[in-house]
Amino acid sequence: MRSDPADYRFVAPGNLESVMSLLAEQPGEWLAIAGGTDVMVQYAAGKLAGRKLVSIWNLPELQGVRVLAEEIRVGAGSTYTEIRKHEIVGREFPLLARAASWTGGIANQNRGTLGGNIVNASPAADSLPALLAYDAELILVSVRGERRVPYVGFHSGYKKMDMAPDELIRAICIPRVSSDYFQYTRKVGARKAQAISKVCVAALGKVRAGTNGKVIAEVRVALGSVAPIPLRLTELERAVQGKAIDAELLQLARRNTMAAIQPIDDIRSTAKYRSVVAGNLVAEFFEQLRMPTHPRGTRMCGAPGLVDVLARWNVVDAATAANEILPCCGSRAWAAAMAVRRPLAAEAEVLETSDEIWRSLTALDWMEAFRSHPRIGESDNREARELDAKSVKAAEWSEQEQRKVADADASTKLTLADGNREYERRFNRIFIVCAMGKSPEEILSILNRRLNNDEASELQEAWEQQRQITHLRLRKWLQSR
Amino acid sequence: MNHSSEHGGRCKLSFSVNGKRVEVYVFPMERLLDVLRHELELTGTKEGCGEGECGSCAVLMNGVLVNSCLIPALQAADLNVTTIEGLADGPRLNAVQKAFLECGGAQCGICTPGMILASQQLLDKNLSPSTDEIREALAGNLCRCTGYMQIVEAVAQAARVKE
Amino acid sequence: MSEETVVQKSVGKSVPRKEGHDKVTGAARYIDDMTLPGMIYGATVRSQIPRGVIKKISFDPSIDWNEFAIVTARDIPGKNCIALIGDDQPCLADGRVNHPEEPILLLAHENPNLLRKAISAVVIEYEPLPAIFTIEESEEKFQVIWGADNIFKTFLINKGDVNSVWAKADYIVEGEYRTGAQEQLYIENNGMIATFDREHGITVWGSLQCPYYVHKALMALCSLPEDKVRIVQMETGGAFGGKEDYPSMIAAHAALLAMKSQRPVKIIYDRMEDMTATTKRHPSRTRHRTAVSKDGKILGGEIEFTIDGGAYATLSSVVLSRGTIHAGGPYDWPNIRIRSKAVATNAPPHGAFRGFGAPQSLFAMERHMDRIAQVLGLSAVEVRRRNFLKPGQSTTTEQVVREEIDLEKLLERALQLSDYANKKARFARENEVGQTKRGVGIAAFLHGAGFTGSGERYLASVVGVEGCVDGTVRLLVSSTEFGQGTNTVLCQIAAEALEVPYENVHIAQPDTAQVPNSGPTVASRTAMVVGNLVRSAALGIRQTLIASGELSAPYSAEEFGDACRKYVAEHGQLRSFARYDPPPNVFWDDENYRGEAYAAYAWAVYVAEVAVDLSTYSVTVEDFVALQEVGKVLHPLLAKGQIVGGVAQGIGFALYEKVVWENGRMQNGQMTNYIMPTSADMPAIRVYFEEMGNVHGAYGAKGIGELPMDGPAPAIVNAIVDAMGVDFDFVPLMPEDIFEAASQTLAPAGER
Repeated sequence: MRSDPADYRFVAPGNLESVMSLLAEQPGEWLAIAGGTDVMVQYAAGKLAGRKLVSIWNLPELQGVRVLAEEIRVGAGSTYTEIRKHEIVGREFPLLARAASWTGGIANQNRGTLGGNIVNASPAADSLPALLAYDAELILVSVRGERRVPYVGFHSGYKKMDMAPDELIRAICIPRVSSDYFQYTRKVGARKAQAISKVCVAALGKVRAGTNGKVIAEVRVALGSVAPIPLRLTELERAVQGKAIDAELLQLARRNTMAAIQPIDDIRSTAKYRSVVAGNLVAEFFEQLRMPTHPRGTRMCGAPGLVDVLARWNVVDAATAANEILPCCGSRAWAAAMAVRRPLAAEAEVLETSDEIWRSLTALDWMEAFRSHPRIGESDNREARELDAKSVKAAEWSEQEQRKVADADASTKLTLADGNREYERRFNRIFIVCAMGKSPEEILSILNRRLNNDEASELQEAWEQQRQITHLRLRKWLQSR
Repeated sequence: MNHSSEHGGRCKLSFSVNGKRVEVYVFPMERLLDVLRHELELTGTKEGCGEGECGSCAVLMNGVLVNSCLIPALQAADLNVTTIEGLADGPRLNAVQKAFLECGGAQCGICTPGMILASQQLLDKNLSPSTDEIREALAGNLCRCTGYMQIVEAVAQAARVKE
Repeated sequence: MSEETVVQKSVGKSVPRKEGHDKVTGAARYIDDMTLPGMIYGATVRSQIPRGVIKKISFDPSIDWNEFAIVTARDIPGKNCIALIGDDQPCLADGRVNHPEEPILLLAHENPNLLRKAISAVVIEYEPLPAIFTIEESEEKFQVIWGADNIFKTFLINKGDVNSVWAKADYIVEGEYRTGAQEQLYIENNGMIATFDREHGITVWGSLQCPYYVHKALMALCSLPEDKVRIVQMETGGAFGGKEDYPSMIAAHAALLAMKSQRPVKIIYDRMEDMTATTKRHPSRTRHRTAVSKDGKILGGEIEFTIDGGAYATLSSVVLSRGTIHAGGPYDWPNIRIRSKAVATNAPPHGAFRGFGAPQSLFAMERHMDRIAQVLGLSAVEVRRRNFLKPGQSTTTEQVVREEIDLEKLLERALQLSDYANKKARFARENEVGQTKRGVGIAAFLHGAGFTGSGERYLASVVGVEGCVDGTVRLLVSSTEFGQGTNTVLCQIAAEALEVPYENVHIAQPDTAQVPNSGPTVASRTAMVVGNLVRSAALGIRQTLIASGELSAPYSAEEFGDACRKYVAEHGQLRSFARYDPPPNVFWDDENYRGEAYAAYAWAVYVAEVAVDLSTYSVTVEDFVALQEVGKVLHPLLAKGQIVGGVAQGIGFALYEKVVWENGRMQNGQMTNYIMPTSADMPAIRVYFEEMGNVHGAYGAKGIGELPMDGPAPAIVNAIVDAMGVDFDFVPLMPEDIFEAASQTLAPAGER
């Protein structure tokens, strides 16, 4: 430890007002410390410039995430753990949730705060690109009152902030408009956890119908670790507006990115590497934005997600592998067979193999899979509930798949319930349909049609529907962390 | 609670450690790690790096895993701190400790207290973590001896036992 | 009844780790957990330049220096050196410095927080001299910084007639391979406590591997006889060789301060000091030139192996020795010339790190085998098959392979376990498209356990076993536990030999006042060599008891305990000592570096599967198979733990751990910037053992502590080369390096 505690003054007034008075009385003399995950490291290294610290940890005025209609306000004192686990943040602001999840290890996430990340102003700070991409605003507070500033431009240069010596960040405001966008974030560090980033990208995108197919409606692209401050690539964002995502656009994206950033050689990496990798990640964002099959809303890409999930699944023991993949289908024989076919290299092979196995199973196996679903329109299926904890995943997926049906009006739901019962009387099993994206009316019409099938054809249709469901779920599983 | 010290001297700090109330006189910027090891002579919590990277100094503060080398003493006021010494019930080891012994989770032992606390916190929040979840939860605890495999097995075993 | 037919009760079982309970409860006592009444704290003032003359030392008056104990080279009673092999390394610099962080003077004070300030308040004026930092600069001799020519040591191995092979060769394959420095990164930093008084002399407690090394060093430093120096090992939080010789330095410092201040003195390094000032793995450069026939048979070749030893000789000659002997790998070399040297640079001296020269030269050998395969158009598998050593053939030092090792079969098994053939085929197809390139790589290698050649004979290790008055058995060894299982394995062996429960055997804390010198805890010798001595000594007390009439076989545990008690009550003590007896048919010619280099070799084949992400050039190890023949697995859990831990360090060596140097000083001396793998980075490592026995090892065991360090780096780099189709011949191999190579050979990303 390279500092002498005896040389320091440290006070904890316990409320924001007292802290602000202190900062106003002796501006520039007191360093605010929240969770300490940056300040204490500098302290231990003997690198703190001043000798007076004031604690802003656990100040009630800086805690909590307020969810308003148009925005969320994240208290500057919110820890990464709180941010990660917050339902709305996870659902609507996954770039921020993901950034929080890869800032240090668990112990540091329990103490590090979003306000601290901003004020410490490391060019490699993990959450800042997300804040830029989300068009966040900051509420700054002092004895002189509050002011609200856009986050972009808050950092004017390396460790230079538009903040007076007596000011603190009180909250970070993020407009709730992002859930319609495809969201992408990726961090490149020296290892998979607890690493300072070498390059970091946080991006949002929307496409719309153009004359000859889909074109870019809007993108927002932010990068970290490639300049003294985190960057929004506004030039690039303008340049791609209205364009189709083709090879030419990907080239443009790469070129623009590499031109906009100013990476350096440092102890962790090189400017050339950062430059090219930044270009690669931005291009990857556009490539994924183009894909038609990503689920509505978000598709996360952390450290190589596909590689991770498959890589791990490929090497665990067979029982674990079968267990992990079981919720995708519900048939134990299918899961066991998938496990035996490892290693599988990529999504394509996973889906192909799944089909092959599904085709080769017996009717008993198919029934087992069918039984693992709740009835369409109902999330209550006693048999499904009796499966082990892994079926929680399946239930979650079922819920997602049947979301449209869940939103249907009461009379439709009633008709569906009747139809289900009719079907079960006829065929002695649950009605299986791949509900994803289908309206209740569509499902009802499918149900009615199939009620007239003979046994053999109906089994075939159910088999096919389950095959599609399995594909959907396999894709989701491959994209999970 | 205002613990400001006018002359940069020591101040009284009260908190509780492993269920026992303690009172020490320390500089407010002393590290919690040093308060535990020196003032309280609880040397089970270790210093491996002093920069919050290795996790050897991990303790639970009000049930939350933190690196005690990064906690200034003043911020521990009135909180409940659990160290490795607080886990066993006399001669009876807890499930995680037992599993570490049975699965080879401890070799040189220096990372072990922090590793056990991090594992304990994981199992407090997640009754049956997957291998990935275990690896993620322990990513802030560096071990140079084991290559982590037997630690992950130990945590998985402890989870099974607790179920 | 022969050993083999008895059901073993302790050996071969995963008995509880002797000190495990203390480790999981926080009760285990490491040096920083210990305090003594009146203890003060010590710290070191170190050179800030790589080489120069000290012109002036001044003490800033802002500090009250009267409160401090200050020690310089003048205060050293005996010889100002850290006695090890040579005596060129000063304990404290005296007028000249030869590397950054070289210790110049020592300070002690009651308040540890004042020491850091005091260090900054010692102002040293230097006259800098030009310094050298690389092997090439050392070879150029533009600056001669050590001896007459910067060369600490050379070896020459000559087998057959190398000059004759070039004309017969169908191919001559050349390659140059490099490995970087690697920091041991034990999680417990170096630390010592020393006391001194006229009556007892010096006592030192600390984190260390070799109590008797420290003992010898302090005797010379302080001019004290052997009974006036006492060294005690505390629980040690990892070592890996990093606490083999360095502890003598820090112990010397603590002892000098204790002598000066007349108080107990504790010195504990913080992470930055430990990383920047203490030893690391020797960087290396290996050049191969090999004559190969068109059917892939090695006809002969030349290997030039050079290691960077830093500023002083310390252990470099021994590291060089092991690296040299392992340089030919597990292959049949009918003709070979190996020229090796250890050279001086102005960096802190490099030292022991698991593998000790072998990871360096074996990296080169295994990369070179893949290169040979490439040139000949053979597979990596085939080229190895055709050149593996067979029983009856001889190694590069002309040691005849006497055991029935079948390396082809070992390779075959490793390939099966790793599904090598299928993966190779699949990856070849799949690498044509997509962002990820996958590859598999092999490393086949051997590792000699125990000291080289006449080393064990020279060590003449002694072990004691004691029957105690309470009926238990106590082992007296200077072999230390630092995670690898010394306590457990040695107690297992004694329990097995005596046929008493493992619980009844315990081991004395290594204390030079209490235990004989069983040799240093290095070179993977503890289970194999010391274990054998433990067995002998244990049988010795059994013999004594039986001879005395107190005991007759067969006996129960109670009967044994009773016999001990009775014997001790009557005779005062029951102890038996065993001394190392060199096996009769093991000959080593030190001058020509020829003969039986090691009593036993363990053999291994490792297979690594990697995925290279072309958008970030990051490498993920997706699967790893570690298959080794180890004589006998004494403790399955511990053995597996050793392999997995060693592979983890090997993965770090290959992909993560880069020492960033500037003017001889490590720039990334913090855990934030020196990257070792976390739990999220490590794949599941699949470990498999084969057991062929070993006549020279306890219960047939061969040493395994260092073996796993040799294989991962070449297997991984071979896999990356397989994936990328680009050659890489150095470690650590960072994404930035892969990017550099890829951006030169592949089309720019946009045109993919």
